[in-house]
Amino acid sequence: MRAAINQKLIEMGERERLKELLRAKLIECGWRDQLKALCKEVIKEKGIENVTVEDLVAGVTPKGRALVPDSVKKELLQRIRAFLSQHST
Amino acid sequence: MKMEDVSLSSMDNSKMEGFAQDILSDLVEDACLGLCFEVHRAVKQGYFFLDDTDQESMKDFEIVDQPGVDIFGQVYNQWKNKECVCPNCSRSIAASRFAPHLEKCLGMGRNSSRIASRRIASGNNTNKSESDQEDNDDVNDNDWSYGAEKKAKKRKSDKVFLHSLKQPVPLNPNSPRRSKSMKHKND
Repeated sequence: MRAAINQKLIEMGERERLKELLRAKLIECGWRDQLKALCKEVIKEKGIENVTVEDLVAGVTPKGRALVPDSVKKELLQRIRAFLSQHST
Repeated sequence: MKMEDVSLSSMDNSKMEGFAQDILSDLVEDACLGLCFEVHRAVKQGYFFLDDTDQESMKDFEIVDQPGVDIFGQVYNQWKNKECVCPNCSRSIAASRFAPHLEKCLGMGRNSSRIASRRIASGNNTNKSESDQEDNDDVNDNDWSYGAEKKAKKRKSDKVFLHSLKQPVPLNPNSPRRSKSMKHKND
């Protein structure tokens, strides 16, 4: 049943819109720049030639999740909840 | 394919909240991955570190905030009272008068050609312009002020009026415009 809602989310384009909204908010609040700085550290550690996507993902994603500001999370959760309640039947 | 027909309203709120959190967490992970891919490509293509400058060069170009000086640190009215030597007549001219003087001196620029053609025309009529050449040069240096221009303009309009009284100017059969259309017709 979750799968059905997920499917709706994608089919109606709402997931794309949510993605874009999240991206815009994260850039605005400086999250993107913070993470880029973290990436720089990983790169300096591993060396430019040898750094892989996995290195970056492993090094950066956990902190990235923690760094998302609460206001952004709230706003997105609101939209998601609204969608869920609208399309729950 | 028949799916379970359980509606969300029967799902309690905490589950729905959990679901929403999961969706959010997926979205955030997508954003992180997207960033990692962008950064990785930038690193491998060599443009990731392009906008970094070292501290020294940053200090060289810092914005200056002192009085009497512009934001680049240059004094901006330094050249007001300097004098330049004209390469043509070797006179020493003030900097602010230098450009108009050069115009007259070299015989180029709009004003000097107008003045020259006016002199030629009045030379044909009155025959006294030769001796006054040098004095005219200095007088015309002040052409840029409003009063002198008024006098000059007035004289010109008088001449145009005189021309129109004499006789109508016939269409020159050799003027470029005319000949162009004629050429096309004959082809």
